[in-house]
Amino acid sequence: MSSQADQARLERGYRRLLACYPTSFRQQSGEEILAVLLDTAQEGQRRIGLAESADLIRGALRMRLRPPGRPPRTLRSAVKLMCLGAAVELATLITIVVTAASVRHDVLLRDSAHWPTVLAQLIIDAVAAPLGMALWLLVAWGLARGHDWARLVCAGMFCLLTGKLVVALADHATAYARADLIAGGTLWVLALAVLALVFSRPAARYFQPQPQARLSR
Amino acid sequence: MQEATFLILTALADGSQHGYGIIGDVAEISGGRVRLRAGTLYTALDRLRLDGLIDVDREEAVEGRLRRYYRITPDGRGRLAAEAARLHANATAALTRLHPAGGVVT
Repeated sequence: MSSQADQARLERGYRRLLACYPTSFRQQSGEEILAVLLDTAQEGQRRIGLAESADLIRGALRMRLRPPGRPPRTLRSAVKLMCLGAAVELATLITIVVTAASVRHDVLLRDSAHWPTVLAQLIIDAVAAPLGMALWLLVAWGLARGHDWARLVCAGMFCLLTGKLVVALADHATAYARADLIAGGTLWVLALAVLALVFSRPAARYFQPQPQARLSR
Repeated sequence: MQEATFLILTALADGSQHGYGIIGDVAEISGGRVRLRAGTLYTALDRLRLDGLIDVDREEAVEGRLRRYYRITPDGRGRLAAEAARLHANATAALTRLHPAGGVVT
């Protein structure tokens, strides 16, 4: 294959990866990055290396997740807490999977008739945990980008978690109640802290519509 | 300040440079230890521009391709100077304790 064909192939590969970047960034810097990529390519290189691909994909993810302006400290803290909430959901899922067998054993030993109820609860929790994790991360992204809907979802999540916690406090029958209570309580505290942060005065200013200031990229 | 950011600002401290030049300069400054890739470099450049630490100096077309030169701003100089002073103080403290007899390597 000729070196021109090699370069054309390499360029097509780079363009495919650059397509992962946000459109505004691509329009502004896409050709410039492509020129640097081609300048730094090895002589006769035909394929994009794994490390280079990973670097471009990581850069694209950062650009997409990055807030348009610098959010206030309160909001940055809220975003970190939302990520922590996602981590708690992940820990919950891992706990459910790891302890499922021992919970089954305990329940069957104490009261086998209760097992279908506990199993149903375990399945609900195992399905809800990844969905919850995705929701915490989505709201974290929305908050970082200054989307007002994310604050409303925060309030909704807090109400939902409060309701779930009240139910968990009232339910002492299942063997899983204590772990459920700890996870629910942790998430409730996190949601309360996030709510206080996102509705604080410095954060509120960030959510006020300033399209020219925040979207002029 | 992350090391890549520190090195990019250092590369721009004595004059404007384009992306490829910054990559080469950062490798030279770090003794070949830090080799910036394009994705990392342009993510950092975008953040530094947003933070007002660098700005676009000029644009040129070389062989039909855009070449953009970046320069450090006064704010960027201030931040780089503060970070360099902090690192210098830390390094001095470490070397003083490693060589208490006064044999500080400078």
